[in-house]
Amino acid sequence: MGKNIYKPIKCEVIENIKESPTINTIVLKPEEEFSFLAGQFASLSVPGVGEAPFTPSSSPFDKEKLEFTVMRVGRVTEKIHQLKKGDIVGVRGPYGKPYPLEKFKGKEVLLVGGGVGLAPIRALFLALVETYKDYKRIVFCCGARTPQDYIYKDKLFNEWQQLCEKIPLSFRITVDKKDENWKYMEGVVTVTLDNLDMDVKNSVCAVCGPPIMMKFTTLKLLEIGFLPENIYLSMERKMYCGVGHCRHCMIGDLFVCKDGPVFTYEELKDKPEIWV
Amino acid sequence: MEKLYIEFKDWQNFLRGKLKEKRIYAPIKSENDIPFYEILNEKNLTDIVYDKARPVEPFKIFLFPFKEKVVPEIENFQEFVVLGVNSCDLKGIEILDKVFKEGEYKDPNYEKRKANILIISLDCKEPYPTCFCSLVGVNPYPSKDFDLNLSKIGNGFIVEIGSEEGLKFLDNDSRFYKANDTQIKILEEERERTIEKVKKINENFKIKEPENLKGMFHKEYWQKIEDIKNCVSCGSCTFNCPTCVCFLLEDISKNEIFKKVKIWDSCQFPGYARMASGATPRPSLFERYANRLLCKYWYMKENFKIFGCTGCGRCINGCIGKIDKRKVIDEVLVEKMKV
Repeated sequence: MGKNIYKPIKCEVIENIKESPTINTIVLKPEEEFSFLAGQFASLSVPGVGEAPFTPSSSPFDKEKLEFTVMRVGRVTEKIHQLKKGDIVGVRGPYGKPYPLEKFKGKEVLLVGGGVGLAPIRALFLALVETYKDYKRIVFCCGARTPQDYIYKDKLFNEWQQLCEKIPLSFRITVDKKDENWKYMEGVVTVTLDNLDMDVKNSVCAVCGPPIMMKFTTLKLLEIGFLPENIYLSMERKMYCGVGHCRHCMIGDLFVCKDGPVFTYEELKDKPEIWV
Repeated sequence: MEKLYIEFKDWQNFLRGKLKEKRIYAPIKSENDIPFYEILNEKNLTDIVYDKARPVEPFKIFLFPFKEKVVPEIENFQEFVVLGVNSCDLKGIEILDKVFKEGEYKDPNYEKRKANILIISLDCKEPYPTCFCSLVGVNPYPSKDFDLNLSKIGNGFIVEIGSEEGLKFLDNDSRFYKANDTQIKILEEERERTIEKVKKINENFKIKEPENLKGMFHKEYWQKIEDIKNCVSCGSCTFNCPTCVCFLLEDISKNEIFKKVKIWDSCQFPGYARMASGATPRPSLFERYANRLLCKYWYMKENFKIFGCTGCGRCINGCIGKIDKRKVIDEVLVEKMKV
């Protein structure tokens, strides 16, 4: 018998960063190496409280630490927000299929992230930046409710945008409702998809955000000519085991944990209850 | 497969002898029509039910208990014997094996627990009005996946040996002798007769091909079915089911030592798929009811290449709302024709 599939790796909390009024990023140092590929997820447990699935938001190339960006919505996430430096949590995984980066090669890549959905997109973005020569260019569309609600503010409005001078990368940034200092777009994230100068038929797109955002972004992408097999959606469901046993995360006959969490719209379009 | 015969009295004495060395579970006569599994002892040994159909509880309770520790995994399992497992429940083990043992990820306990169980299966003789194994391609008698199989013929049993462990259990006891051609002929005739009984019970149901439920998730197929409105979301259909495998994990860690338990869950509970945000893919009763049937006849078929239903009928027997699943499937398939 191999390793117990439910036994987590111990991780020490290095930092708990406040990103927005409801979102924190916790930085962990795993006791043993934890490798993942962009798009894969892990189960994070707070001892005695519970366990929940999250996609790491740190770079898959970073072997020293592991980061999760977590919105405070329930019992477990509330505790995650309260974690302090030195606390111990557990991580098991990685689970699921990553973004198929080999299929992105030579193409224009569009990233669309909304709210806390920027977390898995960040891991993908950092992986793409690391191997940017493989892609024609990267277009990163971001949305949040208000400027305050943006996560990764330091990176997004400084460091990442500076990369645009060095590599074929551009940003399209919006908020649902702007304030007086806002210098980017206003409107829900789909406004960033207007007048895209991309060869849409041959481009790929990765989307992550709340269900309503994913739905309307997908519809818009189809409308402007993206093919269903080129739209990659990072899906979220209630999950316990992470390994295709407990069946909580099923979308029809597909397991989000095992067959996903990244699916193409082509795979999902004839399945029940895809937009929750 | 080698077939032996043993007289009823001899079998009882043989089993009595086994009580000293083995823990044995067997279906025992109850006030209801349907037997319950009990631990066998000198007293209830004469109340074992050999001539009906499956017991109240599905065999899965022995392999996948209601609640078990998974972190750390269980170290030692006690050996025991389960007598009276019927064909529908053996079929259910196929699904459990595919989930917990045969995939990329192995359950920490399942395989070890299973290796310690000896299965003595049983032919069905009197199917209940809720039995419908023949509609889902299962016979009312076992043909594989048992250690020993018993079939009551005349004043004794035909004993089929399905494994080395089964053979060993018989200890070369001289009370078992080679079944003769007449006995084997009676066995075959009785089996045919039981199949006919199941068919007769179900003659008014139209479900001939349950795979027709594939793709049938649209609301219009389900929301008009009156019977579904009687569902009280109790989860009895799922807990009674030999193939329902849904569970949740509870964290009971203390002081940074990880401990987890695995507990049955039911897709019929409103909170089953509800996420922390409060959103759930199936907010309505009829959607949750539909999910179970779609899982049985569509999702599991895609996942494991076999139906997640063995026709045991426990979900019909145990239903507080008295919903007959067969009738619902019929009505849904009629709705399909209309749309």
